[in-house]
Amino acid sequence: MVAVALLGAITHQTLAAWATVDARPGSFFGRFRSVPSASFANAVVVLYALSTLLGGIVYLYFRVDVRPELERSGHWHVLGFFDLKEHFAAIGLALLPAYWVFWRRPRADEPAQTRIALTSILAFIIWWSFLTGHIANNIMGFGL
Amino acid sequence: MTSFDWVRRFSFVFGATFAVLYVIALAKDLALFTVFPSLGVVLAGTHHSRDVADPAMSFLAPAIYWYGWTATAALGALVIGLVAASLPGRSTRHLWSGWVWVIPALAMIACVYLTMPWFWL
Repeated sequence: MVAVALLGAITHQTLAAWATVDARPGSFFGRFRSVPSASFANAVVVLYALSTLLGGIVYLYFRVDVRPELERSGHWHVLGFFDLKEHFAAIGLALLPAYWVFWRRPRADEPAQTRIALTSILAFIIWWSFLTGHIANNIMGFGL
Repeated sequence: MTSFDWVRRFSFVFGATFAVLYVIALAKDLALFTVFPSLGVVLAGTHHSRDVADPAMSFLAPAIYWYGWTATAALGALVIGLVAASLPGRSTRHLWSGWVWVIPALAMIACVYLTMPWFWL
């Protein structure tokens, strides 16, 4: 639930940040863009921190019960993707303070590209974590 | 200089430094502590399963290093971030703000490189 809410918030914010300013006001992208992107920042920070904490707890069980099964089955690619998830999630966690500052306390002389790039990196990490987590969780059921 | 400039400098330096230190911790296997969840044991420093159990039985004591790598990088980044935050504002004014995303992006690429052995198995 936390992960899905986080996905929604970061995806909306990222697309709104990338959307062109000349979108027609009544159009889908116009309405999409009219939602103040900065208002998502607090939610993203809280949800990211919470989902990392919950993921860190679940990871204990993954390491003992799931990972040995994946190793025995030779799902090395899945383990590689999952390791990347760990690394990316940690780097993303440390980016949250800067991300928050750029959205909630922007300076006039700071380029918007930095804010967009930070948001895009976080969006990539969140989507990667979500998809990789689900693949690792379900791979044994895929019959591969 | 407002008190928020302090927070701003800290957050920028913390994010970028953490990414660099995390890659170093990962590459050099520098975990601040190692967790053995099946044994309920936490040991300071990096310990491989073969160090705490017979190599043939090491699968019984899987080790978690991720918490330790993260703690190593967080501790280092915290110290460096606090030092940077305490510097006068003019000393960091000319730094390009884009480093705050370029460095983590490069660190992520380095993580991919370090994870490549999984994909060669």
